[in-house]
Amino acid sequence: MIKIENFTYSYPNSKIPALKDINLKIQDGEFILIIGSTGSGKSTLLYCLNGLIPHTFGGELSGEVLINGFSPKDKPIREISKIIGTVFQNPDSQIFMLKAEDDVAFGCENLLLPKEEIIERRDSALREIGLSHLRDNETFKLSGGQKQRLAISSIYAMGPSIFLFDEPTTDLDQKGRQDFLKILRKLKTKGNTIILVEHQYEEFLSLADKVVILEEGKVNDASLNKLNQMAIEKVQRVLPCLDNIIDLQGIYFEYEKEKPVLRDVNLKIKKGELVAVLGDNGSGKTTLFKILLGLLRQKQGKVTVFNLINPSLEDLIGKVGFLFQNPDEQLFANSVKEEIAFGPKQLRRKVDLDKYLNLAKFHFFKARHPQTLSRGQRQLLALVSILAMEPEIIILDEPTTGLDYKNWYNLLEILNKLATQGKTVIFSTHNMKAKEFATRLLWLDQGRIITDEILR
Amino acid sequence: MRYLDKDTIFHWLDPRTKIFLSLACACLIVILDKPMSLLVLFITILFGFILLKPPFSYVKLATYLMAIAFVATIISQGLFYYFEPKTPLVTILPAEFGLLGRITGGIYLYKEGLIYGAVQSMRLFSAMLLGMIIVMTTYPSELILGLNRLGVSERVGFMLTVSIRFLPALVEEAKRILIAQRLRGLRLKGISGAFKGFCFLLLPLIIDSLRSARRIALAAEVRAFSGKRTSVKSLKFSLLDWVTFVITSLIIILAIKYRFNL
Repeated sequence: MIKIENFTYSYPNSKIPALKDINLKIQDGEFILIIGSTGSGKSTLLYCLNGLIPHTFGGELSGEVLINGFSPKDKPIREISKIIGTVFQNPDSQIFMLKAEDDVAFGCENLLLPKEEIIERRDSALREIGLSHLRDNETFKLSGGQKQRLAISSIYAMGPSIFLFDEPTTDLDQKGRQDFLKILRKLKTKGNTIILVEHQYEEFLSLADKVVILEEGKVNDASLNKLNQMAIEKVQRVLPCLDNIIDLQGIYFEYEKEKPVLRDVNLKIKKGELVAVLGDNGSGKTTLFKILLGLLRQKQGKVTVFNLINPSLEDLIGKVGFLFQNPDEQLFANSVKEEIAFGPKQLRRKVDLDKYLNLAKFHFFKARHPQTLSRGQRQLLALVSILAMEPEIIILDEPTTGLDYKNWYNLLEILNKLATQGKTVIFSTHNMKAKEFATRLLWLDQGRIITDEILR
Repeated sequence: MRYLDKDTIFHWLDPRTKIFLSLACACLIVILDKPMSLLVLFITILFGFILLKPPFSYVKLATYLMAIAFVATIISQGLFYYFEPKTPLVTILPAEFGLLGRITGGIYLYKEGLIYGAVQSMRLFSAMLLGMIIVMTTYPSELILGLNRLGVSERVGFMLTVSIRFLPALVEEAKRILIAQRLRGLRLKGISGAFKGFCFLLLPLIIDSLRSARRIALAAEVRAFSGKRTSVKSLKFSLLDWVTFVITSLIIILAIKYRFNL
């Protein structure tokens, strides 16, 4: 059983507590869903359970956390890790070994278990989580969902009875999320306690015994209804005008021989459309974008963007903007101001800085270094920096990944505004809610467009 | 250059034997001084390389590296050979040629220098090829386990594993950053442009690496990593390892005996 009583915690060098007066009781075998916006203290709460607080982070704490009768601050993390397993958001940074089965053994080896027992635990974990067929694979070649399952197996092998998940599905596609849901069900039926922190929580509501809403470090008693009100209101839109701005005819592409990634893709997109592209990882979304941008050249078929036939990237700079999934790979400058001016400066164009600072509500920190902003703000900055080049077409590769509802709403609102101004916006996403925003929905499956639906 | 999943005699060897072999090779390179004996060493190792049947791209890489090393050593030794006697083959700059000739004392390509260069490059090739063989036949985690058993600490081993594991991800990330730069209209012209582009690449790369280093550290911690570990893998010195060990030792002893006339 987990008991948290009047618990308050502040990080070192911080005056504002990250958690305030938390009271929470979790019975063995319960499934707890924790939700709340970025910075509300969700991850901090998990760190207080697995011992990273105070052992690694330090800081000041008062009140009490008790897990099966002991306090995490009195036990070293390696002892706690036998009882509590933690799976983090980014599957990449929790895998240490080159071979999948070696990684599952990693934790057990650290627990100094004898060899025979490690082998037994490793094999049973691989079997239970459904990874036996991938045990000999190289870890960096696994898909996101497979990596996350590997991370779960590795924790499972250490034999904890309490599982903490810190936004584990952020980087997963629809199929990965379904697999994850199955694993959660299995862990729950085996009587494990599960604490899950998530932004996209809808699918997990049916499993949860209790939902905890954290707001600014406090548990909020408000009902879930209030959260659903945060859901996006539909927005009035002007009808798109009729020029085709993008025209793809019979696009075929393969990276390796006989392994088509895109097959016979035909697509016309009109000016002012807001197109959501859905599909699992590996369905060809990113490849399609790369072909549109001239980063890859199709093996068969014809690409027309504006009036250019098969344009190269250099033809499109300044006319087409592209946003990568990870904002940190596209922020180069020393301040927010310089970052926005970076693109226009390279193209020797003038830029109306205030307009873009306003758009993202960045006036307050225009002089700050981009890397000191929060993840959601960095994502917004990366987008605004691309908009400053005034492209006619904006393509975004999973822009909503890892954003909480507030930032997510902000971003989609900007995209919507752009589309109403006659810009063409194409974005890929795993989030089904995007449907409420887009004017058109494309579904890619194994390199083919299987659904093409005009929504408004 | 990566591990090849095959079943050859080199794959059967214990990683410790391979570490010993590379040390032995380093010794032999220094001890042997006759062109003939160095050639024999090189051919033996080359034979091993061929026995592995590496993919064509690796053969190409090895040939390319050897060609560069060969040309560079031969030319530099041919030009700057200073032992006597020496026979000039080609005169590049005569000693009587103006100020430059008087300062340099003339620039010639010497015959003895070329031969010496060829011998030197045999040494380089031997070390290079053996290194490639070891990389191709040893799983990284086993090599690290071998190092551990020889007394290198767990922490160093862990650092090595993690860096090997994350290298491909880093390369991918660098590629994406470069594309993002091009998309923002950055054009690199000349040396100063290349330098500037390099800075723009380095900054996001370092910051992102630091962020993931922090995440990795937390993940390692909740998996009870503390520097002390048991291992699911065990290393066993087989008969083959002992035979290799004894033969290699004998060769080194013989080499020392003949070199120093003991």
